[in-house]
Formats: sequence, C-alpha cells, structure tokens
Amino acid sequence: MTHQYEVVYIFDSALEETAINEKLERFHALIRQEGVEPPALDNWGKRTLAFPIKKRETGHYVIAKFETAAAALPEFERAIKLDDGVLRHLVVVHEGAQPVPVTATKSDEEDDE
Amino acid sequence: MKRAAKTCAICESGVRVVDFKDERTLQRFLTERGKILPARLSGTCARHQRQLSTAIKRARELALLPYIKGHVG
Repeated sequence: MTHQYEVVYIFDSALEETAINEKLERFHALIRQEGVEPPALDNWGKRTLAFPIKKRETGHYVIAKFETAAAALPEFERAIKLDDGVLRHLVVVHEGAQPVPVTATKSDEEDDE
Repeated sequence: MKRAAKTCAICESGVRVVDFKDERTLQRFLTERGKILPARLSGTCARHQRQLSTAIKRARELALLPYIKGHVG
C-alpha cells in the first residue's frame, strides 16, 4: 500500500550543490519503488532561517514529493538523522494536490465535504 | 447591534488545504509577536483554523516562521 509523502530538508548552507544532490540521491534510493515515478524535487535554495538552527543562520531548503510504501520510511528517516549535513527534516503525508489559490472570486462549483 | 459575520479569508481564496510551506499567507494569521490569531478575530472558519494551526506549527519547526518575532536569543 503506497502513500503520497512530502519531505522538506534543510541542508547546511556550507555544502555545495553537488554534495546536496549526492545526499538526496542516497536518501531517495532507500525509498525507490518499482513502477512509481521518482521523487519530484523542488529546490528553494539558500534562505535565511527565522531562528538559528544548530548555530546557523541560513539553510538550503529542498522539498521532495514522492510515493512509497510505509515500510520504507523508518530506514529512510534513520539515514537522514545519521547525516549531519541535514540540519532538520520534516516528513508529512501529502494532503492531496494543492489547488492554485484562485483570486477571490466565488468558485462556481460549491463542493463541501 | 450584532456585527456582520466576517467571511473566512481562506475559503474566499478557494484554498481547500492550507499549505504549510507558503509562509506569506500564513503570516497574515499571526500577531506582530508571531502568535496565532484566534478565529474570532481573523474570522476564519473552524475547519480552516484547525488546518491553519497545524500548518503554522509545521512552518515554525522548519524555521519558515519564527516562534517569537523580534526575540533576540
């Protein structure tokens, strides 16, 4: 049973792009599923943090959306925790597609759960 | 005289699930100090207020939003 997951990584800004990509490859190899498309990466790049994490003011944000079986997650999380290049990460069950926020017009089809 | 009920800003913008990553919209529901605005002040509906609070807490954990704004730690 596979689920949609979304993970946000905050990498140490001292790392270069190649090191970050190599780490991402290693992490995503752990959750590789046959017949499922590879994780969709969204690279936010370097951003200043709202508060210092591990004495660092900036972090390199990368967001990955992927689909995997739940059994693969503990191993995946352990690998991230062991890696000290990752300041912080957050794995979240993907709550459905994010509709593009339309301008404040009344949407015609009124669907309410 | 009963005030006209405020409409929920998130319902207005047609967003169904509050996204914890876009902190620009989340910022509108915080006080200057960075605390979560109560629904009675922001007029948000209960469903979106629940989603909003979890989204803000996740954004805080990811350092997208400060826990306390203007805090010199």
